Amino acid sequence: MKMNLTEILSLDSLKIGYVSGRHENVLLPPLNACANKGELIAVIGRNGIGKSTLLRTLTGLQPSLGGEIFYSGKNIRDYSRMDLAQKVGYISTEIVKVSNMSVYDLVALGRFPHTNWMGKIDTKNHEVIMDAIEKTTMSAFCNRFVSELSDGERQRAMIARILAQDTGIMVMDEPTAFLDIGSKYEILHLMHLLSHKNEKTIIFSTHDLHMAISQSDKIWLILDNRLMEGAPEDIMIEGAFDHLFDSSPVQFNSENGTFSFRSEEKGRIFIEGDGIRRHWTEKAINRAGFSLSEVKTIPYIIIPSGNNREWKLTTNISSVEFRSIYELVSFLSKEDTLSI
Amino acid sequence: MKTENQIETAHVLSYGKQQKLFFAGLLFLVVCFLILDIFLGSVSIKASDVIKAIFTNTDSNFETIILKFRLPKAITALTVGIALSLSGLQMQTVFRNPMAGPDVLGISSGASLGVAFVILGFSANISPDSLKGLGNWILVAASWAGAGAVMILIMFISSRVKDIMTILILGIMLSSGISAIVIIMQYFSNETMLKAYVIWTMGSLGNLTSSQLNVLLICVSVGVLLSLFSAKMLNALLLGENYAGSIGLNVRLARVVIFACTSIMAGSVTAFCGPIGFIGIAVPHIARILFKTSDHKILIPGTILTGGAVMLASDIISQLPGSDNVLPVNAVTSLIGIPVVIWVILRNRKYSGLF
Repeated sequence: MKMNLTEILSLDSLKIGYVSGRHENVLLPPLNACANKGELIAVIGRNGIGKSTLLRTLTGLQPSLGGEIFYSGKNIRDYSRMDLAQKVGYISTEIVKVSNMSVYDLVALGRFPHTNWMGKIDTKNHEVIMDAIEKTTMSAFCNRFVSELSDGERQRAMIARILAQDTGIMVMDEPTAFLDIGSKYEILHLMHLLSHKNEKTIIFSTHDLHMAISQSDKIWLILDNRLMEGAPEDIMIEGAFDHLFDSSPVQFNSENGTFSFRSEEKGRIFIEGDGIRRHWTEKAINRAGFSLSEVKTIPYIIIPSGNNREWKLTTNISSVEFRSIYELVSFLSKEDTLSI
Repeated sequence: MKTENQIETAHVLSYGKQQKLFFAGLLFLVVCFLILDIFLGSVSIKASDVIKAIFTNTDSNFETIILKFRLPKAITALTVGIALSLSGLQMQTVFRNPMAGPDVLGISSGASLGVAFVILGFSANISPDSLKGLGNWILVAASWAGAGAVMILIMFISSRVKDIMTILILGIMLSSGISAIVIIMQYFSNETMLKAYVIWTMGSLGNLTSSQLNVLLICVSVGVLLSLFSAKMLNALLLGENYAGSIGLNVRLARVVIFACTSIMAGSVTAFCGPIGFIGIAVPHIARILFKTSDHKILIPGTILTGGAVMLASDIISQLPGSDNVLPVNAVTSLIGIPVVIWVILRNRKYSGLF
């Protein structure tokens, strides 16, 4: 099948790492990956594996130790600093702290590779800047100082800056790391919009696996021995995410893309009933350390339905009724007699 | 859509209007202070006599005082104010440190060391009087070299140490170390050379020969031109080196240009007028308060005008108009600059790391 995709970035046996003195410290085995136009790509890997180094190498802020990077088929070495700045933009985890800098001024800095030696903002540049500010819904903040913004607003302003830079590719190092949950999803929504509506290729690193799986078009999963790329679902099917948590008490369930803590299973419970109450009761008994039984065995729980407003737990010994999941779980986690 | 754009443009314009007003006001102040500086002094001369001395060719004592002393001194004050303030602004941006300035981080002491080498050491067989003509250039070059060396050292330190306070303390240590070297050199030098050096350290705007003033004017003009050229780079550097690189700045080249510019300006002022404190650190902050921007396209001309005005005012105050006494200009600039610096430190406790 022939796919109508424009490849905008490709990595060919790329070696990343640091040079300290004469010693080359290569972090990972050679990496191969590619990115197409308009894709939202999440870079995932455990802490310290080299995500930031990879992103910095991609943007040319750090030299590679071997292998090649191609932007639109042209080697990164053949780009001048200015030309590269028109291909790829970068947001790091570093927080910009400048007093007296308005949001407009910050976004205007994105025009750096497009303005003359004085950095003059002419009508065309002004329009691009205002457009970027509008797309990130920062119009109301245009003349506010960057130092007065909330974390989420500042990150939107940073994205506006990179948008004004007018690059096909945006590289973002943990763009949602320090945000509260609301701003986190706002930023993610914005990234999603920019990649799908404005055809920007966005490569971002994140620790939020759930977010990456649910929103990104592609995942670059960095493991100790290789880089795996594919749709989140492809990687899920291969069970590769499990390797991320080999030694930690966290477990990834490839079937539904959720996490759980590895713990001793206390027993199995059958649940009778359906609907939203069943869904959350399942979650609750999982949390209490029980798994779901497929067939009706003792113990079992009957979910409230119709006139019956209580959860009914039947065990070998007794039958107890609870008015809420809270009461049910409190009972389950205390009661050792259930673990038959 | 169109109206929206118009509103935005109107907003930007009104913002710019206020800044234009400040520019006009500052320019007016500079001109006023320049005139006042010529009219006022320890010898009281009637205004009509001053005008006569400037525009007619009478051979009076007044004319000598005005043309040979007051006019060059006023021009020196203006030039020194511009040079020190601009180099302070550049250093604050490059180091991303509100406390950076030629005198604080040891740049001025570096320049003094260069001067000390020329006056005390190098000229062992040349008398201080021979520091004319080419000698002026040797003095300036030594001063540049000293300032530049300290700049590079501080840059190296600040690439490893991020904490502003640590860098400041290291800067103070560096200054003290350099002073110690200078003291040793003073100890081993003869009386005439020692006197020449001590007089130099007191700082003065009035001791420049006309050829020295010419050298100073050339150096500072080069510095001002270079700094106009560096406005775009400085704006990018506000974001830090990583972001500056990612938007297309050649960070290494930018540093070389800006350091050269700072060393030339701070170095040549220090060479001829001695170490003048607190102008370089305080004036950029005054300009930031006035213009409420971080854009160097506005801050650079703003700092030039503010620096000129503040230095001229300091010179007028140091003349103590109406009395026969003269204060050292160094003391006046410190008394003006220190409150500004204290204000910046206190304000910064709220947003540590901001400038």
